[in-house]
Amino acid sequence: MVYLHTGYMITPLGEGIAANLKAVQEGKTCLCMHSNVHGETLVEPVMASLLDEERYKIEGFTLFESLCIHAINGAKASTTLNLQDEHCIFILSSTKGDIWESMATSAKRISSWFGNPNQPIVVSTACTSGVSAQVAAWRLLDNTRYTTAVIVGCDVQSEFIVSGFQSFHALSNAKCAPFDKERDGLNAGEAAVCMILSTQPSPEGWTLQGGSIHNDANHISGPSRTAEGSLRCLNDALELIPVDDLAVVSVHGTGTVYNDEMESIALHRAGLDTIPVTALKGNYGHTMGAAGLLETLLTLYALEQGIILPTKGYHQQGTTWPVAVSTQIRHTNRTSFIKLLSGFGGVNAAVVWTKQKTWHSVAEITLTPPTDLTAIYRQKVNAYPKFFKMDLMSKLGFLGVECLLEKVREIEPGFTFDTEHTALIVASRSASLKNDRDYWNTIQDKQNYFPSPSLFVYTLPNIVAGEIAIRHHLMGETSCYVLPDEQALEPILNSFMSTTKAHQLLIAWVECETDEKYNAHIRLLIKK
Amino acid sequence: MEDLKLELKRQIIEVLNLEDMQPSDIEDAAPLFGEGLGLDSIDALELIMIMDKHYGIKFSSKEESKAALASVDAMASYIQQHRTK
Repeated sequence: MVYLHTGYMITPLGEGIAANLKAVQEGKTCLCMHSNVHGETLVEPVMASLLDEERYKIEGFTLFESLCIHAINGAKASTTLNLQDEHCIFILSSTKGDIWESMATSAKRISSWFGNPNQPIVVSTACTSGVSAQVAAWRLLDNTRYTTAVIVGCDVQSEFIVSGFQSFHALSNAKCAPFDKERDGLNAGEAAVCMILSTQPSPEGWTLQGGSIHNDANHISGPSRTAEGSLRCLNDALELIPVDDLAVVSVHGTGTVYNDEMESIALHRAGLDTIPVTALKGNYGHTMGAAGLLETLLTLYALEQGIILPTKGYHQQGTTWPVAVSTQIRHTNRTSFIKLLSGFGGVNAAVVWTKQKTWHSVAEITLTPPTDLTAIYRQKVNAYPKFFKMDLMSKLGFLGVECLLEKVREIEPGFTFDTEHTALIVASRSASLKNDRDYWNTIQDKQNYFPSPSLFVYTLPNIVAGEIAIRHHLMGETSCYVLPDEQALEPILNSFMSTTKAHQLLIAWVECETDEKYNAHIRLLIKK
Repeated sequence: MEDLKLELKRQIIEVLNLEDMQPSDIEDAAPLFGEGLGLDSIDALELIMIMDKHYGIKFSSKEESKAALASVDAMASYIQQHRTK
């Protein structure tokens, strides 16, 4: 598994994830008219989002390199992972880097600043770079000696880039309006973003499930009219997570007529018409090599708060296929998303992120002697005559779960078991030894030899699980272990919880040595 | 006959652990299985054991035991005809 450990971003809206998340939620944008870019006077003013050069320039480094270093520094401050380790790899995501310097050279200068011993990797696949870099990191962490990846994405705007976009008539003089009817182009933007991934689990549990890159095989600058590449990326992504878990697709949403139309076709063809879609370029413009990382991190940390971000600039449907564009902050309890991008060269890329659910203890109870089990039955259950036919182990397990449920419902009123997804693990040391003795005694008189099926059935240590399952209609896994003590159950539970599809787990340690010496400890854990 | 029925009811309550029941709660003609007492297949096996243990009756087929154990009435009349002790 590949976990997100930390991220950091430098944008004109602020530094760090919290500041940017707040700004986006408040609907802020850093787009405004600029007549010069970092000292270069433009022939025509452009709507753009630019960083303050003075604030970030490091002596002896280009602005591009300086921004990357600041972004990595910001992320480094919030992780204990060692970026100088030989198992740590630096990955640079950029479309044009510093333009006049090889990006390989810039990348090496950046990774050397942090004392990393490895040759960094540069991923440069036009506008998809930030997602393609995540795919590269995922593969490296999944398959090679590397255990940590530092991805940094950045592009610096210049007359060079702005004039090129102008030559393609891709820029809008207004603030871009992703997926909107009136959209007429993109805005140039700047950001430097860092994401640190590791194979070590992180407390938040966000994992990069995988990614997919496909070419349209159609045109070097325009997107496929039938969204061939993006469709294939989405279809691959949907193989990695159940669609019911998908909270949002964070799309490219550049605000150009052709891109957004293409994405609407891809979403429609992938059957995602009703899944919320969010585009962030109305806040930041098109930050190119940083976009994939910026938009991934913001989408992810918003979902961490249970929120789907709004799409600034969108007002009215402007694509052939309707898309569920998120127009205002909405709440969700889903915790997976797809980040989709496409770019020049016919390339399309998607990554899938999901928050691993973790097990939480809800409540536990114990029953030890002297306990009047019949009194508990009369008080909490009644009208379940089968109770009186049960052996002590089953009675303890059965009543234990009743008492536990009562406790759970004090915490979560109306709680019921998810009968298809509740697992029940019972364990004990003596297992059915007491019942075995009792049964054995009934068949010693060969002259009066009448073996009882209802005694014999309880000489199996897992019958208590059956009694509980019947009572609560639990059709998930029921397992039974015989162990020296309750402690010995822990490694079994750990491996169970990390692999099971169940999301409710009843654990019942029911030890009956004699009718007077017993101990039942019953717990409910829920994955959420 | 009435004595036999009462005896049967007491045995059923004891062997099947029908904790909250009295002999008078069991009607002579009421079906023992499916409804009423809520007995299951393990209980049926226990009743077969009662028939053997107390009355020396061994059933030769499932159909035969099913008919004989349908109600207290059925049990009593079967016992009257077939008991060996």
